[in-house]
Amino acid sequence: MPALASLAATVCALVLAPLLFGIVNRTKAFVAGRRGPPLLQLYWDLAKYLRRGAVYGETTSWLFRLGPVIGLATAAAAITVTPFGGIGAPASFTGDLIVLAGLLALGRFATVLAALDTGSSFEGMGASREMHFAALAEPALLLALATLAHATDFVSLTSIYRAIDAAAWTGALPTFALTAMTLVVLLLVENTRIPVDDPTTHLELTMIHEVMVLDHSGPDLGYIHYAAALKLWIIGSLLVGLLVPVRSGDVWLDLAAMLAGMVGLALAIGMVESAMARYRLMHVPQFIVGAATLSAVAFIIRLV
Amino acid sequence: MFALTDIIQAVGLLSCFALLATSRIGACIRWLSFQGILFGLVPLIVHHDGLSIREIALASGNVALKGVIFPWLLLRLRARADYNREVQPFVSFIMSILFGTLALALSVWLTMQMKPALKDAPFVMLDSSIFLIFVGLFLIVSRRNALMQVIGYLVLENGIFVFGVITVVGTPLLVELGVLLDAFVGVFVMGIAIYHINREFGSIDVDRLTVLKG
Amino acid sequence: MHASESIVALLALSILGSLVCLALRRPRHVLMTVVGVSAAQMLLACNIWAAVVSGHGFVSAAGQWLYVDAFSAFHMVVLALVFVLSSAFAAVYFGHEAEDVFTAAVASRFGTLWLGAQGAMLLVLESNNLGIMWVGMEATTLLTAFLISLHPSGLSLEAMWKYLIICSIGIAFAFMGTLLAAASIQSDGATASDALFWTNLASTRAHLDPTLMKFAFVFVLVGYGTKAGLAPIHSWLPDAHSQAPAPVSAMFSGFLLNTALYCIMRFVPPVQHALGQQFPSELLIVFGTLSIMVAAGFIVFQKDAKRLLAYHSVEHMGIITLGYALGPIGSFAALFHTLNHSVCKALAFFAVGRLGQRFGSHDMHAIAGALRADRLWGSALVVSVLALIGVAPFSIFMSEYQLLRAVIGTGAWLTLVVFLAAGGVVFIAALRHLIDMAFGTAGEHDRGARDGAFAAPIVVVATALLLLLGIWMPLPLFDAISSAAAVLAGQP
Repeated sequence: MPALASLAATVCALVLAPLLFGIVNRTKAFVAGRRGPPLLQLYWDLAKYLRRGAVYGETTSWLFRLGPVIGLATAAAAITVTPFGGIGAPASFTGDLIVLAGLLALGRFATVLAALDTGSSFEGMGASREMHFAALAEPALLLALATLAHATDFVSLTSIYRAIDAAAWTGALPTFALTAMTLVVLLLVENTRIPVDDPTTHLELTMIHEVMVLDHSGPDLGYIHYAAALKLWIIGSLLVGLLVPVRSGDVWLDLAAMLAGMVGLALAIGMVESAMARYRLMHVPQFIVGAATLSAVAFIIRLV
Repeated sequence: MFALTDIIQAVGLLSCFALLATSRIGACIRWLSFQGILFGLVPLIVHHDGLSIREIALASGNVALKGVIFPWLLLRLRARADYNREVQPFVSFIMSILFGTLALALSVWLTMQMKPALKDAPFVMLDSSIFLIFVGLFLIVSRRNALMQVIGYLVLENGIFVFGVITVVGTPLLVELGVLLDAFVGVFVMGIAIYHINREFGSIDVDRLTVLKG
Repeated sequence: MHASESIVALLALSILGSLVCLALRRPRHVLMTVVGVSAAQMLLACNIWAAVVSGHGFVSAAGQWLYVDAFSAFHMVVLALVFVLSSAFAAVYFGHEAEDVFTAAVASRFGTLWLGAQGAMLLVLESNNLGIMWVGMEATTLLTAFLISLHPSGLSLEAMWKYLIICSIGIAFAFMGTLLAAASIQSDGATASDALFWTNLASTRAHLDPTLMKFAFVFVLVGYGTKAGLAPIHSWLPDAHSQAPAPVSAMFSGFLLNTALYCIMRFVPPVQHALGQQFPSELLIVFGTLSIMVAAGFIVFQKDAKRLLAYHSVEHMGIITLGYALGPIGSFAALFHTLNHSVCKALAFFAVGRLGQRFGSHDMHAIAGALRADRLWGSALVVSVLALIGVAPFSIFMSEYQLLRAVIGTGAWLTLVVFLAAGGVVFIAALRHLIDMAFGTAGEHDRGARDGAFAAPIVVVATALLLLLGIWMPLPLFDAISSAAAVLAGQP
């Protein structure tokens, strides 16, 4: 059954990822006293984008067309490596946590190249900000995963997450708690949520991620949005897998627990976005480095 | 079941990093108070011969002094003194946090060197105490504000207190009380000094105390 | 009076005197109290010293909590001597300050802190318990801080703050070292209540853990070394000495630095038992030579007379430390040098202080033609600076010569080269400063004011001591210093 469960988890990821954004937006609207867009809004948007034709600027080249494609491809590939709580990933091998980080980095690299390719100053500005934060966030991600690997004595994501059950938590509470805090911050950074970046802003000077994809249209834009949803699912499942240590033998129970966790995560993101404002740009690096330090501290005290 | 000392260590380390990363003095004073109470509980947890009046006196004395009295003194000083609230320290916050991480690694290494000789001391408390000493020193050296320097001194004293409690099985109570009393008088004296400095210079920015050179 | 009672009486007298000064209302009364107390303490200290040297080598009181052996007795007598000289000078110096500068409040603050600091130093010297010794050192830091800023001004507050912060950190480190020393003796299961007694730590029967003692000594050296003015942690010294009033500077150089060095040396016999001779020697040599080199470098560029003397103190502390590192002959030389340097530096600060009052500033360009302007203090300046740089026939020449013999005897060639080179630099630089200050036409100065009654006796006594000890070492003194050095070598 494990193979079937992995397949089921992957299908859930591919199908349900856009729903997360719907839940987040709905939560934000609810807190603000509005009704908000339908839960399935992103699905309708994706269908709309795929139907339309794309418009390409004259200054762009093949890099610009390649960017969204690579972004989507890496996100989908990362899905195959990410375990869903106790359920293993379809492809797991020693050192796949580095592959995960590498795939995410490759996707970001392609997006940045496409942004620079347009020759627009706004997009260049967004690209530089994005890389600045990425330079700090990628070591943080690797540190967090390394800490988990050290704590559970495995080097493959599937094995690591399979070993994180309630007993493991009580044995290493400080380590897991600190790493979870790091993953929360990384979730907010990688997926450009508040307090790092405001996804609903319409002022280009304040954008970081959205400004990089300003010039895309049609199916390309659809790929980008879908890839963003997949990224949220990936890092979300890393976080929820850590926080929800339900590892009963029954894979369907685990799957249900994880799905519940993902919904809870989306609700939580919505609440956080409603409650906080965006940090000043110069405080964001401190924020990320602080998160990385939490993992470093967890790692060092684990060395003992 | 995870050890209480592990929790104290993890939260204590976090309080140190918070002190390294915060620029607002009021927040630093509150973190200091929290840290004082947290590490003041160590005598109650790490005892070798059972809980006696001695440990209780020591713990309550430390909690009262470092958790309540010193922060109150410092808050009063802060209200009276004039300083620029958003001032950047000599070492930027990111560098401070990175230093904190290095200091943690160094203190773990030092603890591993010292541990064979100190059989009774819990490892986590030992490396917390050394880390506190490093952080205290760093705060004194890298901050511009005289109040932050006093806070750094108190963090240093916290570290030494924890070290004393866990390594020495029963120094005469006289000495420990002498230590606490000296810390008290020390902070008091520093407070008076800050008051004089503020009155003379109109600020407690130690960056201005650089006339005497060479 | 019985010697053990004297020990307690010394402490009690300081505390009593300090409290009395708190209540006094007239500056003259405060100054007289201070002089009276210090004279009485001189007598008590000599009494104790005689008892120690002629008796079985130590005197104890309060059930072993207070313990005075040859090493402490020697330091006690030096302390009392410098203290009585400084107190008498304080009467002269403050007597010349205007009524509105040396007010009743300032005077009583001075008296209280002065006697209180002295009591704390006596506690350090008399205490057998290393923890109480530490408490005493911390108390001296806190009490002397306000002596530096006795007359509050921007510069004196700056000096006081630096002193407070740097020495507090040093004292905190020293406490770590003390804790580690206590932990090292307990690793064998010794009883708790007297774990910190020096008599236990230094006895050959003690089992001390080597790793812990190693860490302990490093912490103690850096910690108490900060208070002793060893480079590179001496940075508070020039500021504090230059901004404090002259009697306070004399007290700092004359016995506070020595007390800190005393604390370091108290730890050496246990460390030698645990780790052998070489480890403490090497560390002490490093700090000693570094202090000498750094001080020599800074002396060349000085413009302020008191800062110059402060750097001289750093240099001489380095020399004393070096002496302690070089075995029994070196320890003898170091102890002799302690006595000589304290007296000489006190005299130098007295001279610069009075001349500074006369000329209105301590800047070495302002003080010109001192010999002509003020015969007494000008000649005191000449004598003291010449003695400081090691001119024969003054006593410092003798002690430095003995130190050189020790250096050559142990074959520390690099140290020898550094010592001679630095000594040469200091000689030339300080002599140049002295010639500028002492000779030539007198600059702008206040011609009035006759000196108080104590001025001439102070200068005569100090100069006589310096000359006498340079030519002749009385046998009792020789025995006393030898027994003190023997304590350090581990044969109490």
